[in-house]
Parts: sequence; structure tokens; C-alpha cells
Amino acid sequence: MLDDTFKAAFESKPKAVSLELQHEVEQFLYWESKLLTDRRYKEWFGLLAEDLHYWMPIRSTKIMREVAQEYTDEQGFAHFDDNWYTMKGRIRKIMSDVGWSENPASRVRYLIGNVMVVPENENTINVVSASMVYRTRQERQLDVFACERRDVLRRVETEAGFEIVRRTILIDQSTILSNNLSFFF
Amino acid sequence: MNVKANVGATGAYSDAEILAMIDEKNGKYDPKIYVDEALYRLELERIFARTWICMGHESQIPKPGDFTTAYIGEDPVVVVRQKDASIRVFLNQCQHRGMRICRADSGNAKSFTCTYHGWAYNQGGDLVSVPMEKEAFGGCLNKAEWGPKQARVETYKGLIFANWDADAPPLDEYLGDVKFYMDIMLDRCEEGTEAIPGIQKWVIPCNWKFAAEQFASDAYHAGTTSHLSGIMAGVPEDVDITQVAPPTEGLNVHLENGHGCGLFLRNPMFYMTIVGPKVTEYLTTGPAYEEAVRRLGQGRADVNLCHTNVFPNLSFLAGINTVRMWQPRGPNEIEVWTFTLVDKTAPQEIKDEWRRHTSRTFSAGGVFEQDDGENWCDIQQVLRGHVAQNQKFNIEMGSHTVTADNPEGFPGLSFAYTYSEESARGVYRYWTQIMTAPDWDAIRRIEQRPLAAE
Ligand code: FES
Ligand SMILES: [Fe+2]
Repeated sequence: MLDDTFKAAFESKPKAVSLELQHEVEQFLYWESKLLTDRRYKEWFGLLAEDLHYWMPIRSTKIMREVAQEYTDEQGFAHFDDNWYTMKGRIRKIMSDVGWSENPASRVRYLIGNVMVVPENENTINVVSASMVYRTRQERQLDVFACERRDVLRRVETEAGFEIVRRTILIDQSTILSNNLSFFF
Repeated sequence: MNVKANVGATGAYSDAEILAMIDEKNGKYDPKIYVDEALYRLELERIFARTWICMGHESQIPKPGDFTTAYIGEDPVVVVRQKDASIRVFLNQCQHRGMRICRADSGNAKSFTCTYHGWAYNQGGDLVSVPMEKEAFGGCLNKAEWGPKQARVETYKGLIFANWDADAPPLDEYLGDVKFYMDIMLDRCEEGTEAIPGIQKWVIPCNWKFAAEQFASDAYHAGTTSHLSGIMAGVPEDVDITQVAPPTEGLNVHLENGHGCGLFLRNPMFYMTIVGPKVTEYLTTGPAYEEAVRRLGQGRADVNLCHTNVFPNLSFLAGINTVRMWQPRGPNEIEVWTFTLVDKTAPQEIKDEWRRHTSRTFSAGGVFEQDDGENWCDIQQVLRGHVAQNQKFNIEMGSHTVTADNPEGFPGLSFAYTYSEESARGVYRYWTQIMTAPDWDAIRRIEQRPLAAE
């Protein structure tokens, strides 16, 4: 089962939020992806909450009758199932000069769209967005990934304005058509 | 040495040429085994269609009608739990016009109906109904003759295997001594293991033997440069990575029938960086460890990580409990299919930790596995070169340390120092032998002996 509270928030068409809030959230998401594209991993990591859950379940092919079981649940195996500490380890890896899957580094571009915002309260904001990730690396490797991201953002007193408490990444591919997932979504 | 200008293009190799591709005495071999289309077609016929291939774990299909789709080489199959709890594996191909019978990765089904013209099969894959049978076939279609090809099916401690060849030995005999090492993962507790739900699949543009051989034999890449950053991701920040010494106590084991493994002994350090402190503690102290000592003996209970390949394409890391099938997709590509096993009786908290850590370390995004994919892609690309294909690769490591015996009393054909390639020599020599053996009688006659020792 995917996160139920979150799902409920998007069960029917969300009420329009103020343009200001919509703008704030979008700018945060753009900023975040810019940090990743620019390989400013330490700063990106700074946007993650200490109670983070960063999770990408596995998708598989099901017949329509059983399509509710398309994704693995929270007890299932996942592409990513990380907390703040393990993400810190990933940052340590990607920034080391012996992390061969990202040295030489990939070139990663994110196109974020379809941003829908549902505030839970003053401080907690549910956000759905679609992300196209375009990666090239080495001489001619090219990978394209599309996914829906379900974020829970928390308002904080930082320049960025929010931190990411939870990110669920629903990737469209069942068999991942790439040699690795050595970057972030 | 005869270097043919058009090798591979003609698609023909004599037995003598294949046998000469591995020179285990001199520690050299021919990288054309990784790229040649004709050799690849021969592998599908002589290896994948004749040996026992892993289909997954029994706990993935617990109830009658539960199925998964899997592969024997490039042949798609359906793996189905029957009403009597047995398992059937049949070719996922309708014998009418060849359509794929089952088009989902997994699920539960009472029957399977071909979407092309509606031939219907029961859970066992028997053809039971044909639309307009009487009118269109005049009642003379013998349905019993037209079900999909059935494979032999056997299990070993939860793992399901299938084999197309009626002349192959039973699974137990085929596995032989590798069972001793499989048990380090499969038999630590009375109840055995269960699979964490979900099979992760991804594509690596490399030959399947790079992956199989690495799991059979290559502790060297883990003890040297490949996984430095993976280790770094798992140790506390204040630990200086250059001070983390690679394990040195262990064995590289050459087993019969093309199987191979290597292991570290009495050094839980690697566990710490991969499965974290909680699972490490669970594996190396307390009641679960004591049960493992009782069941496996002190020696095996103190194996801290055993990397193994069951010939041809089933690999696992005992302790970390990542299991994977390297599905061949042409000479230049594989799909990795991987899942995680946990002790059935482990506390839920331990199962959760185990799952999170195998996903963190050994998966497409795993801090270890990311870098394996990186190496194999580049090797494969370099091998597009004509000159590159006509070089020899070095496979002589540890030749001087090979013995027919080991202080642990563990079974195997020959043993060498932890960082050795005796097991790899075994995999590749067996590969040349099975590739040139016309049938199972000939495969049975393959002489199995220590390699570099003489
Ligand atoms: S191909 Fe299956 S019914 Fe015709
Ligand atoms: Fe590795």
C-alpha cells in the first residue's frame, strides 16, 4: 500500500492553493533539482530532513485485475529505501573520488512538472510532481526515466524554505533500462 | 597461434578451438568467449537448455495458482504453484502460433488463456480448451499433444530450479558440493529462509559470464579498488577509509560442475559496512548464531560472507543474502534479477534492516553494485575492438597457492588464498568442457580436478 494519508489528499482534485504557495513550492523543487544537476550534493543533502524516508518501490507488470499490486509495499524490496543516515553515506560515496559509477560523473537533467500542492497544515505540505530525468554519461550512454514523486515538505527557517521529509518515487519502468541508478531522483 | 580475421563472423568453432580458449595452466584466456554470437547461441543450447536454472524462491508463490514468469536462458517460462503444492514450469509459448501465454510478471491465476486465439491452459500448463474445437478442428485435435513444453522441476531448501534436459542428473547431484556453501545462507535456522517480496530487474550491457565469474571467484575487486566508495558509504564518517584493512583470512574454492565460491572467515567487518550493526550482531552473536553453529558447525557459522555462483547463472552472497539470476540477453547484455532472502525466524526488525541494507548496497542503486555495472559495461564496449578481442586476459592469480586441501575441512576440488582465481579457472574450464560435450553422457565424463596445482 502506498502512503494512505498522502493518497487521500489526492483522491479528488485538490483545491487550488494560493499562487504564492504554489510558486514557493515550485521554486523549491526547481532549486533542488538544480543543485543535483550542478552536483552540489552537500547542499542538496542539506534539504533533507533528519526523519527522511526516501523510497522507490519496485514496479512490475500485472494484469488489470491485480493492478493494485503493481508496486512493492513498504515491507517489500525497493530500488531505494533510505533514511537520513544512509543518504548521508550515499553522499559520502558520490563525493569521494573513488565512486566509479559517478566518476567520471553523469550529466543529469531534471524536468519537473505537473506540480500539485495540498497543504496538510501550516508546516506540512504534500506535493505531487512529475519528473523526467535525462542522464548521459561516458561516451554515449543515454538513460531517460519518468516518475511521479510524492513529497512531504516541511516548512523550515532556512533560505530554501522547506525540507524534504518524505519522497516516494514511482518510477515508470519495471525493468530498469540502465546499468545502475547512481544518481538521485 | 591461429588468429582468424573473420572469427565470429562465420559462426563456427571446432571443439578444439573452444577448448583452447581457456589455458588454465598458463593462466590465460580468450575474451572472445564474451562477445561471439555463435558461442552465445551454443551457450543457450549446451548450457542453459541442459543445466538446472534457478526460477526463484518457493515463498514467492505460496498458494495454489500463484505464478511468476521467469527465464531459462532466453526461453520464457511460467512457474506455477499447483493445488497439490508441487510446482510446474512450462515454456511460455502457445503451441498454436507461438504467442506468449502468460503476460504478467506474477499473480494468481486459475488458468491461462492465450490472447491470440483463446487456447486455454490449466494451472499446470495443460491445454484444456480450444475455441470452436469441434467446428474448426473437426474434433481431431489431440489437446494432450499440444500443451507447452514442460521442464523438470526440483527445489533445494526453498530455491526452485528447472531443467529442460531429461538426461540431466537430479538437482541434488548436479549441485553437489556447492550445497555445503548454499547452506550458509539457506540453512542457518530450522525454518529456513523466506524471500522479501519483490524482484528487482535491471539491464547491464555486458556478457553474463562477467557477473557469474565475479560471484564465483572475484574477492579481489572487493578487497581492492571497486568498492572503496561502497564501503565508505557504510562506515561512520570519522573512520578513515584507508585504515579499513581488507579481510585476508578466507578461501577461494573451485567446485565441481562449474560451481565456484569464495569466502571470508572470522571477520565480520564486511558485514558491518554492508548490512549494518544490527544484522551483523544477529548473524555473529546470540541465539540465531548459536543455532547456526549447531546446524552448520563452527567453521561455516564463522564464514562472514560467502560469494557463490551456481553454474551457470545463479549467484548469491551468503550473509548479505542477496540472490540473483543473470539472465542472458545476447552476448552483450544481461538482465539482473535480484531478491533478498531472510531467515524465516529472524525478528521482524532484523528482516526490515536486512531488506533495507540489501536495497542500499546490492541493487541497481546499491552503493556496491552501482560500480560493478560500471566495470562490466566498459569491458564489454572495449571488446567491440578487433584488436581488443584478439588479446589474451590474465587469469593466473593464486596459482602458486592452490591445494587440494584446506584447514577448515571444507569440500571442493581445489582451494587457494582468498584473493585467487582458482574458482574462475574452474568456471571457465568447465565452460569449455560443457560447450564441447554433445550430451549428458559426455558431460558426466568431464574430468574434474584441481587446476593450477599440477
Ligand atoms: S497463438 Fe495461442 S491460440 Fe493461437
Ligand atoms: Fe562487486
